[in-house]
Amino acid sequence: MNSLKPLLIRTLQLALVLWAVVTILFLMFRLMPGSPLAAYIDPTFTEEQQEALIRQFGLDKPLWQQYFTYLVNLLKGELGYSFRYRAPVAERIWLLLPNTLILTFSSLIVAYVFGILAGAWLAWRRGSRVEVAALPVVLATRAMPEFWLGMVLLAIFSFSLGWFPAGGTRSAGTDYSSLWALYTSADFLSHLALPMLTLAIYSQGLPLLLMRSNMLDVMKEDFVTMAKVKGLSSYAVVVRHGARNALLPVVTSFAIAVGYQLQGNVVVESVFSWPGLGRELVAAVLASDYPLAQGAFLMIAIVVIAMNLIADLLYTFLDPRISHA
Amino acid sequence: MDAPLLSVKDVSIAYKVGALDIVAVSNARFDVPQGSIVGLVGESGCGKTTMARALTRVIADNARIAAGQMQFAGQDIVSLSEKDMNSLRWRDIAFIPQSAMNSLDPVYRVEYQIVEVLRDRGGMSKSTARKRAVELFEMVGIDPGRLRDFPHQFSGGMRQRAAIALALALEPKLVVADEPVTALDVIIQRQILDQLRSLQRELGLSVIMVTHDISVVAYICDRTVVMYAGKVVEDCDTATLLNEPLHPYAMGLKNAFPDLHSAGTGILTPIAGSPPDLANPPHGCRFAARCPFATDQCRVEEPALTEDAPGHFVACHRAAEAVALREEAKQPGTWGTAA
Ligand SMILES: Nc1ncnc2c1ncn2[C@@H]1O[C@H](COP(=O)(O)OP(=O)(O)OP(=O)(O)O)[C@@H](O)[C@H]1O
Ligand code: SF4
Ligand SMILES: [Mg+2]
Repeated sequence: MNSLKPLLIRTLQLALVLWAVVTILFLMFRLMPGSPLAAYIDPTFTEEQQEALIRQFGLDKPLWQQYFTYLVNLLKGELGYSFRYRAPVAERIWLLLPNTLILTFSSLIVAYVFGILAGAWLAWRRGSRVEVAALPVVLATRAMPEFWLGMVLLAIFSFSLGWFPAGGTRSAGTDYSSLWALYTSADFLSHLALPMLTLAIYSQGLPLLLMRSNMLDVMKEDFVTMAKVKGLSSYAVVVRHGARNALLPVVTSFAIAVGYQLQGNVVVESVFSWPGLGRELVAAVLASDYPLAQGAFLMIAIVVIAMNLIADLLYTFLDPRISHA
Repeated sequence: MDAPLLSVKDVSIAYKVGALDIVAVSNARFDVPQGSIVGLVGESGCGKTTMARALTRVIADNARIAAGQMQFAGQDIVSLSEKDMNSLRWRDIAFIPQSAMNSLDPVYRVEYQIVEVLRDRGGMSKSTARKRAVELFEMVGIDPGRLRDFPHQFSGGMRQRAAIALALALEPKLVVADEPVTALDVIIQRQILDQLRSLQRELGLSVIMVTHDISVVAYICDRTVVMYAGKVVEDCDTATLLNEPLHPYAMGLKNAFPDLHSAGTGILTPIAGSPPDLANPPHGCRFAARCPFATDQCRVEEPALTEDAPGHFVACHRAAEAVALREEAKQPGTWGTAA
């Protein structure tokens, strides 16, 4: 009944992955052509700023010492100084992270809730006209490029109907006493609607199709048949025993979906001018703002890794064959 | 004599596969007397599960009860409305499946699954249901401390016992057990059959015991119905079936299985050949191709199930010669040559 051990192993594995990502990032930015200072220092920085950075990151030391300093700085949250903003990278990232998290999770939650319900329903209505009509539509949403989908939604709901704003997170001239007030304001939510919907439509296909096919398999299982033989209600048969079991693999797919989702974020954040990490990463790379690019990349990796852990936790919680092995 | 609890009359059940109708059970008839264990025995594919599941009317999507009646305690299961049938399920007719592992939901504790049926179908409160679950576990010989385990934490024998506990939960009149011990080793088989036998006596249950194993029949069944290729070929009390079978298939089956009582020293002789294609059954006796005693009449005319002696039904043209045929059937050579 030791449910903690596999989880501990998984946590260590993910910590190892994180360490690998961090190391690759270090090597990538240090081994770039040009001066080793290029990763942290922009020629337009003042003398004092340059010297402070050289000292902070040990840029005049041998590579292995730099690596060590880099790790220590990471642990302290020191990511260097953005070339473009002339401000600490960490500050910029903390500013953008909530936007990305809100967009990612709201769209994933909508996608998964919708996908799971619709998938279970389609499985239940197997062979009906609704199912026959719905499947190609779902497959089409999976094939649509997100930028195209985003543009179409923009054209319809923003430009023609004017229901939602075209981009950003808030209207000009608005001000909020706290971040919480901002994120719960109608203004913010109406800005969130279209990018969220774009990503949700883009992501719902995976849980929907998975849920549908799992459900079709589970409904053939003996325990579902036995639930019918027991004379249990159709709710008990379909939901309590059918859907509950079909859900397990869908949960695992959640972690994978977060990965795709963040990749999708880069595009959708750009289309909707959503100030998030994805858009920032692209902008930083284009502007050769290496410290910021490195920081944004690292943060995205951390989110993906954390989600993997959360999906594992959830799965362990949902499947007693693992938690009570 | 009391009226039987269940009376199956001329039941045919067909599976639709493409344009074909596979008649898995055809014109079956047998009775289950009040408070007895009736075996339903025959080779794999002869229609035992199909017949057994039809009694719950939870059958495959492509299956259909094409004809017949199943009189159960005054009602015909075949023509009952779905609502009335559902109220019969588990309260009056419970089922023990072959694979208890797959029939228990892996994500819920065993206790939950017993309590579920007690509450949803028995109308009990949660606390009464929990107490009853403890009782049931004690009844089938599992430590009630294991109630909060998940199915995968049980051994095969325990799962099968849990399935029995589940079946007895609402004190049904009839328990249909589909190969309840087939997956278990012989020692556990015997323990579970003993348990089932004593519970059956204690509770006055009627049981249909589906099995392909004649030794299980010999061990526990009062009466036995032998099926071959979807047909009932012999139906009588078990002692008669074992000692004085009238149907050549029943004679052959006896040679093909070891005895569960003893270590089984006799030589086993399987019946050569395989059953006919149910989508296109032969004219005449379905067993003719494998029967060492088949005559020309057997190949053209189908024998009807008739009552040879009171309570002894058989479908064979040569039933009258059974005494002589039994002697011949004891020779191992008799069965090897049929093809
Ligand atoms: N869903 C189905 N569709 C088509 N044919 C089926 C279906 N289920 C069973 N059959 C066929 O019906 C016949 C009887 O099957 P059934 O499962 O009742 O046999 P059984 O006597 O229980 O065999 P076993 O000992 O293998 O469990 C077999 O020929 C089988 O192939
Ligand atoms: S009817 Fe003929 S073929 Fe069929 S079992 Fe009897 S003797 Fe054999
Ligand atoms: Mg079977």
